[in-house]
Order: sequence, then structure tokens, then C-alpha cells
Amino acid sequence: MITLTGAGCVLLGPSEPSCDPTPFLRVRKSRKFMGLQDDLAVVAAGRALRQAGLSDGLGPRVGLYLAVGYIPFRHEDITPVLEASLDPEGSFDLGRFGHSGFQRAHPLLTFRCLPNMPAFHVSVNFDVQGPYFVTYPGPGQFYTALQEARDALESGLIDLALVGAVAHQNNFLVAHHFSRVVPPVAPEALRDVAAMWVVETDASPRSPLARLESLDVSYAPADIAAPSQPFDSFQPDGELGPAGLALALAQATQTSGPSRHLHHTLRSRDGFCAKSHWSLS
Amino acid sequence: MKPHRVVVTGMGVVCPLGASVEGFAQGLFEGRSGVRRISLFDAATFPTRIAGEAPLPDDVPLGDRKVAFALEAARQAMRHASASGTAPRLGKDAAISMGVGLELFSMVDLVTSRRAGFVLPATLRERLSFLQTPSDTCIAMMAREHGCFGSPRVHVSACAAGTDAIGAAARLIARGSVRTALAGGTDSMINPLGVAGFCTLSATSTRNDEPQRASRPFDRTRDGFVMGEGAGVLVLERLDDALGRGASILAEVSGYGSSLDAYGISEPHPEGRGAWQAMVRALDDAGLGPGDVDAINAHGTSTRKNDPVETLAIKRLLGERAGRVPICATKSMIGHLISAAGAVEAIAAICCIERGWVHPTINLESPDPDCDLDYVPNRARPHVQRHVLSTSYGFGGHNAALVLSRWPT
Repeated sequence: MITLTGAGCVLLGPSEPSCDPTPFLRVRKSRKFMGLQDDLAVVAAGRALRQAGLSDGLGPRVGLYLAVGYIPFRHEDITPVLEASLDPEGSFDLGRFGHSGFQRAHPLLTFRCLPNMPAFHVSVNFDVQGPYFVTYPGPGQFYTALQEARDALESGLIDLALVGAVAHQNNFLVAHHFSRVVPPVAPEALRDVAAMWVVETDASPRSPLARLESLDVSYAPADIAAPSQPFDSFQPDGELGPAGLALALAQATQTSGPSRHLHHTLRSRDGFCAKSHWSLS
Repeated sequence: MKPHRVVVTGMGVVCPLGASVEGFAQGLFEGRSGVRRISLFDAATFPTRIAGEAPLPDDVPLGDRKVAFALEAARQAMRHASASGTAPRLGKDAAISMGVGLELFSMVDLVTSRRAGFVLPATLRERLSFLQTPSDTCIAMMAREHGCFGSPRVHVSACAAGTDAIGAAARLIARGSVRTALAGGTDSMINPLGVAGFCTLSATSTRNDEPQRASRPFDRTRDGFVMGEGAGVLVLERLDDALGRGASILAEVSGYGSSLDAYGISEPHPEGRGAWQAMVRALDDAGLGPGDVDAINAHGTSTRKNDPVETLAIKRLLGERAGRVPICATKSMIGHLISAAGAVEAIAAICCIERGWVHPTINLESPDPDCDLDYVPNRARPHVQRHVLSTSYGFGGHNAALVLSRWPT
């Protein structure tokens, strides 16, 4: 059985309008490569590790299991490219794009939106050298990351796992995606969020914050162009991408009380049905 | 000791050397290049104007090439696996595990979407293909078509994703979570935004006048990688299931290992620490040692940074045997298929194991003093192999290795 010994989260909004990863950066020169999804992941990981009493030198026996939301792209990043790629009639001109348009993009733009980059920044700043599973893009995939981490811990492949999810969703590309699904998600519901857990086996000497009591994941995808299954279309904190469970449990561990439990269920657009039961210390 | 051994019973491939395993293998052993001038769009004004384009299947769901490649490769693999014996075990006992390429968006659609009065297309199918197609849709489509309803795995570990997908699928089977898997990778980035993105990073070869000589792993005059596209899919099964249904077994997936470099965003650890670690873990998982490695299908990108560091990692792993173990770079012929690379290269490695030959690394003409191993230059040769390492090292420090073994060993 596996336990949480640390949890950290960032949910951008009125109470935390921005996040600064600088205090957690072991490799300061990596800052210029970081987009918002990288900032969110590093801050959540740093907070989780700090709660677990761990420092940054994690090494080869620590694995990273991360679900990343849809690829972000901001208007302000693509607008200069587009402006230099239009003909006088305002239509896209491939020749102009290839000659000069694409060079108007920030040279580090590619690094700031790739879905494997949050894993890179977490690994380099906390020296995570173990196995990994980086997956994409929804809440069902977070459950698969959790399955992979549990199996790696229980088989002895690793001693400790960083498990989490990150989603940078307030941008035109992710907003476009959520505007076309059924039912559509309004842009104002999209949240920028990350949550990370430190996960270990029962044998850990660290005090557990929560224990996984049961985990069940099933999969029955519908025809993607004709969704016929019900799914969870509303979350109280807004659309959290893959980070719903990770955030809920991280927040639950930050409150206290008598014997408590968290039951999480999921029916996702892409066909996952999942549930987990956690007992909180 | 793993509860279950895992074997390959079917393979499918779409790549710049063709849309069948036989055609792919023939091209590999002939040392043929699939790299050409880009024809998918007018790349005349781009710094890089060459790539390895794959033949497009007739059916292109949602207009997305990588989805079409994945579905075609999966069909081939399932036909292959079902050609002898009864059909593989599917349903909840089967899962999809795929490395899937990036969702790039259409600049033309972007301009359209910014025009006054724009409204999204009417049908969900049209909306899902406007601007960009969610790349994970191919997982659901593969699962529905073949009846694989185990918990799927989507991998986005960049250039290591295809290898990770096969390794993760093998783990799912080995520990008893499922009994069958369709595993591999698919990618297509030969479009304006994809080519421009890599040009911005100065990562791709600009040897535009000699497309077929542009991808030259381990050669002193290499100047970057050549983009490729396509998909590779393998059918993996529990050994006892495959034997029980009378399937033809092509190879065994004996081991898988992965690691994070925790070093540089676009450059590998200078001593190849992560690459070495992934290979060691794969061999440990297989219950083998460096002395058991008969050949390596290298990552071999043809970039200045990768090839010498990969060489260092192999030397650290194999010690004094390093110069005697053949090392093949499939990318010399098909370019870099990014998320599909590891899967297509695993199929190349299995073709080598089956035939008792190693395919060449073409365009290796000027030896690089920092790349001084046996890379099988330019000509295939006979070489019996029991255990082969197939390796992939991704942008951002993701390293993955598989041990593929001859069956019966």
C-alpha cells in the first residue's frame, strides 16, 4: 500500500494570483526556459518536498509520474509570428512565414509549451534521476500516472515517487479546445493549476498524510465525434484538466480533524471511469 | 522474477521506407534513404527543406496524419498477430500504450479563427479537426477498433515516447495488469509550424541539396537531424497466451529501463549518465548483464551533441567489448520520427534479430574521432543476435532502453 508523505499545490486565482519558482530553482539558468506550466509544476513539487522534509538532491531512486494538460499557447506569443506572415489581404502566406514570420517567435517558445518540459524542470531542479512516466492530457491520465507510481513503488523499482499534474489553461489554444467539446467549457472556468505529491510505501519512516485504500480504473471510450457517455463536466474549482484529484487531496491534507476520508470518482470525456479512496491522517 | 514473460506477436509500420514491415526491412538492409525534399507544403523559404515523408493511408480520420499512421500501423500489427493461431486476447485484458506526437495547429485555421464573425464548424467531427486535432484521440480510436479496454497509457516523453510506450506495455503485461497490448508511437511534424520550430532551435540538418545524405549519425560532417514521420505498433502478449493460441513469436521484450538526466534542456549529460542508467536498468530488468548485449539500435540522431555522448554511454556500459558490438542508427535512413522513433526502431531491431543481420548506418563516410565504435557503416552484414538494446534519448533528458531478445533464446 502507498502513502502520501508530502503534498503541494498552486491554484492561480484571487488568493494566489501568480507563482514564482525562483526559491526552488537549483539551476538558475533554467529560469529563462520556463513557461507558466513549468513554473506551476516546480512550485507544487517544491512545496510537496518541503512538507515531506526532503531537499533537492533526490537522485536515481526517485521516480517522476506526471500528467500534463493540453498544450498551452498564448496570443501574445503567436501574434508577432502571424503579423509577419500575412499577405496584404490578410491571408496566411506560407512564403512570408518561412522567410521571416517564424523568426518573430521568441527563440525559447518551443521550450515553454512542450508537454515534457514540466518534467524536465522538476527533474533538474530537484535532481530526480529515476524512472518516469509523463502523460497527457486529462484527468484519466492522472489516474494512470498514479497506477504507474504505485506499481513502481510496490515492485521496488523506486523508493519514492513524485506524482502530480499540471495544467496551464488560460490561453487561446486550450480555450479553443474546451470551446468545442460537448458541453463546451467557458474560458473563465479554465484554471491554471498544479499539484504534486510525495508518495512512498508504508515502510517509509516519514509520517503519512494520507493512505491509498483503493484504486480502480476502467476504460470505455465512446466514438470521439459522438460522445454518448455522461462525464464530469463541472468541478467546483473550475476546469482543472488532469489536476482534479491531485489538487483535492493536496488541499485535504492541509486541513485537520478526526478520522477523515476522501472518495474521488471520475468519468472523463475520453472514456475513463476511475475511483479512489484515501484515508487522511 | 517477473510473473509473466512478454513476447511480440505482431508488428506494423508506416515510415519513410514504406507502409509494411517487409518493405521497411528491405529498405533497411539495402541501406536505402527515405529522405526527400519536403512535398507536403512549399518549404522553399525555410532553412530546412528536407524530411522523411511517409506514405499516407487512404483514410485520414480528422485530417490528422499521425492519427492515420497510428491506425494503419495498428491494423497491420493486429493482422500480423492474428495470421497464425487463434486471435489475441482482447477486451479488458488488452490495453493501448502509445507515444503520441505534439498537437501543432494550422496557421491558416488560426487566421480564419481571428476573422470577425467566425463561428466554430457545426459538427463535433469538424470542430475536432479545426485548428488542431487532440492528439490523444488516436488512443480512443485504436481502442475501439481493436477492442482494447484496459487502462491505456499515453506517453509524451518527446523522442523517448515510443520506447517508453513499449516498455510500459511490457510492464503492464509482465505484472499481470493486462494480457495483451498494442504498443508503439506515432508522429507527424512535417508541417510549417513543426519545421519552423525545429529550425528556430537550429536542430535540423540544412543539407538541402543532398537529402539522402543529410542524416549521417556518427559522421564527422553531420549537421543536425532530419525530420521523419510515421508510426510503429507492436502486439505484445503474455508468453503463455501466445504459445497457447499457436501464435508466431517474433521476439521477447526482456527488459525496459528509463531515467531522467536532470541536466540540460537540450543537451545530454556530458558523460551520458542518463543514457547509461537507462541501459543498465533495462538489462537489470531483463536479468542480463552488459556481456549479454549482442547489438545496439542506437538513438543516433546525427546531431553534434547526441552522437559522441551516446558513444561515451555505450563505452561505459560495455567496457572493453564496446568496439566489438555492432551499433546501428536507423535514423540514417528514415530520419527522426520523434514520438514514433523508438517504436519504429524497435521493429528495425526485431527485423535484425529475426534475420541474423544488422542493418547499416548509412552516410557514415568521415570518421569522427569522438565516435569511434562499430556503427555498421553503409552496408548490412550477418550477425547473430540473442539480445539487442534499443535506445531512445529525448529532449529534456528522458532516456529509455528496451532489451529485445530472440525467441526462442
